[in-house]
Amino acid sequence: MELLPQATIDGLLIGGIYITIAIGFSLAYGVMHIIDFAVGEWIMLGAFLGYYLNLWTVVDPFILLPAIFLVFALIGYLVQPLVYRVISGKKGNPVLMGLVFTFGLALMFRGMALTGFGFYSHSIPSAISQDSFFLEMGSVFITIPYVRLAGLLYALAITLVLHFVLKKTDFGRAVRALSQHREAAGLMGINAKRISSYVYGIYVGLSAMTGVIIGSIFTINAQMGGDYTVLAFFIVVLAGMGYLAGVPWAAFLLGLVQSFFLIYLNPSYTLMAVFVILFTILLISPKGLFGRGV
Amino acid sequence: MSRKFLLLILAFGILLAVPSVIHDTFFLRIITEAILWIGLAISWDVLAGYTGYLNFGHGAFFGIGAYTTALLMKLCGWSFFFALPIAGVAAGIVALIAGIPTLRLKGAYFAIATWALSRAIQQVALVMDITGGPDGMRLPTFLHPEFFYYLMLGVVGGIFALYWFLLEKAPFGLKVKAIREDDQSAMSLGLNPTWIKLQAFILSAVPTGILGAIYAYWITYIDPASVLGDLVTDQAVVMAVFGGLGTLIGPAIGAIIIFLFKTYFWAYLSDYQVLYLIILGGVIAASVVFLPNGLWGTIISYIQTRKALKQGPVSQGKTDKGAHHV
Amino acid sequence: MSEPLLQVNAVTKTFGGLHAVFQVSFHIAPGEIIGLIGPNGAGKTTLFNVISGFYAPNKGNIHFKGQDISGKPPYKLAVLGIGRTFQVVKPFAGLTVLENVIIASFARHPRRRQAEQHAWRILETTGLADRANAQASSLTLAGRKRLEVSKALALEPTLLLLDEVVAGLNPTEADRTIELILSLRDQGITILIVEHIMRVIMNISDRVVVLNFGQKIAEGIPRDVAKDSGVIQAYLGEAPQ
Repeated sequence: MELLPQATIDGLLIGGIYITIAIGFSLAYGVMHIIDFAVGEWIMLGAFLGYYLNLWTVVDPFILLPAIFLVFALIGYLVQPLVYRVISGKKGNPVLMGLVFTFGLALMFRGMALTGFGFYSHSIPSAISQDSFFLEMGSVFITIPYVRLAGLLYALAITLVLHFVLKKTDFGRAVRALSQHREAAGLMGINAKRISSYVYGIYVGLSAMTGVIIGSIFTINAQMGGDYTVLAFFIVVLAGMGYLAGVPWAAFLLGLVQSFFLIYLNPSYTLMAVFVILFTILLISPKGLFGRGV
Repeated sequence: MSRKFLLLILAFGILLAVPSVIHDTFFLRIITEAILWIGLAISWDVLAGYTGYLNFGHGAFFGIGAYTTALLMKLCGWSFFFALPIAGVAAGIVALIAGIPTLRLKGAYFAIATWALSRAIQQVALVMDITGGPDGMRLPTFLHPEFFYYLMLGVVGGIFALYWFLLEKAPFGLKVKAIREDDQSAMSLGLNPTWIKLQAFILSAVPTGILGAIYAYWITYIDPASVLGDLVTDQAVVMAVFGGLGTLIGPAIGAIIIFLFKTYFWAYLSDYQVLYLIILGGVIAASVVFLPNGLWGTIISYIQTRKALKQGPVSQGKTDKGAHHV
Repeated sequence: MSEPLLQVNAVTKTFGGLHAVFQVSFHIAPGEIIGLIGPNGAGKTTLFNVISGFYAPNKGNIHFKGQDISGKPPYKLAVLGIGRTFQVVKPFAGLTVLENVIIASFARHPRRRQAEQHAWRILETTGLADRANAQASSLTLAGRKRLEVSKALALEPTLLLLDEVVAGLNPTEADRTIELILSLRDQGITILIVEHIMRVIMNISDRVVVLNFGQKIAEGIPRDVAKDSGVIQAYLGEAPQ
């Protein structure tokens, strides 16, 4: 029972990371209706860029974040037309083709990473990696590592910024219009193609930044993409596909579940547990916890 | 279509004769594996190409079949011929359980769920003692390349014939097409889309499990990386997409081409094995963009367009364009 | 009095806060042709969707042949004997006309050969036999509407729901369709028909049910309904021909 507060804190901290994994992904789905199978790979690539930049420039990864964002946002922006072409195609089922296409991309990225980076694991050292908060309340000890707290703060910052952009700016309004009704938005002069490319760029940039954070807290390797893809999917399905507001809740829930699993049960079965929960959700409420999924 | 049928029979006949002519076991093994991949590609396509539901965990059924066989033969002392059908049944049961909640929903959910399932199963196999963990399992040895060649040929040939019959001749094929064309209209006509998709899913999973069983006994050694890893799914997907979704011959052709490429690649460029993944992914992505109907699909529509042009204006008669090809 | 074939009891269907259909009740006796009319947005297609199983009613129930069918899925109702057409026609575009009807025939004739024979018979009845091997997508609108009816007919339904099968056709085609509908009734099929073209409804219906804003505002024989002030008002003064 003394472990409960620590488990809860751990869960919330992890949940923060999960928000960042899923929020860009949910946004991209809402606007372009594309399930990007390569989301984990974008995260992985961002992590590796962060690792190598940190290695060469000895700049703290947290300070590198904006640079990583810009690089990958640009990459996403450039890749997007290809994605768009696939999902707007006349031949075959566009959604299907989109899935297959991003599946192929993910495979390619994984191969490129393995070729370029090998099978080694790394982690990105940060100024704050080593230290933690220590809280003591009676017989309860709580450790809060600085990095994880930073990760959580980053997640909250991203969420707030995104919320602001979507609700208060013209661009955000255009994005929301597009995700609610593509044709009507087009009739109002909203350029679906251009907005989609910005959104995709933002999504890739966000994912890459998340990779750097993950690299500072955990380890990274060329094959890590798949697990993060599963996590992103899981959170987004739980939140309701395309329902951005549900992401933080779902992320925290997953974080808590995982943390309890780690502390109280056998961690090797976490993935199976995640799958069983995913499965049950699909069985009972495929529109997510809040019933607002698409 | 009867010309195609004859050609296929001819091809099968040639394949039957191969072991009598070729005695090099290495070469025989290569062809056996090529046939295996034809089976894996068409079984993936049965669901993906015909119903539009992508099983990104296809390899899991292969692995389930392999491990079921290994467990039954090694731990329970069963003979291979009893283990084989059980392996198929096991795969089928998993498909049933996984399919019921997910096939009611849109294809994206199904793709995610099967993808997650296969990773989960792989993790379970890695940690359980009974499956030997990362070290895998050994099966009783039975070194008989010709036996496995004929078995693989017979099984894959049987799978092909079964699919051909069900999808081209039997009512099932039309029902599947109806679901894909317009599932609301199909529902108003008495068809239950979820049930039909479920049947297709089981039709895809059971043969895959059986192929896994054969593989296990043939190679004698299985581990999570080889039978439950991503590579089985990845390759099956490439072969089917590149070959041509929604047909049976397409994935078969795709399987042969990709497999030949892979064999050459690994023989001469074995230092660059990870490069292979890049190429696989690139082929999938490029196929979607440039060859959405796959190689075979593009060939067919080219032939059809030529025929239509020769026939003259549409109003002159009944044209055949868009008619389904195998 | 014989039991009604279809009994709609206070059916309500809401979407969000909007009542698309509100407490609608009526019945259909075997062998009748019932017209369902009302201005655009009155809830006719929604009511169709509820009766044919695509929506479950939020309130109320529906009885067919004495059985409660509320909320049953469309494929079960097809087997029970309810066939329907769609306002926006839904052919299986990539298949031939014959294949379209064969698929519909599987409901009563599970084997391929019998289904195919049955499909030919249906196509003869609806006049599409000469286009049997054409792609469904190559048909004109009139052809597609006929195909729509053919598919529903292939189910050998007891109750046929026709959603705007005449709209969009030229007068010749329209007359042919009306003849077809009447011949179907002569074969014993009960028909519920939605149509905007007044002369069609008023001429072939035994009784007419009028919806406006999701509610039933009138019911009766065509002549009486045409004179009903509420109905006239609903159509903003448009007098039936």
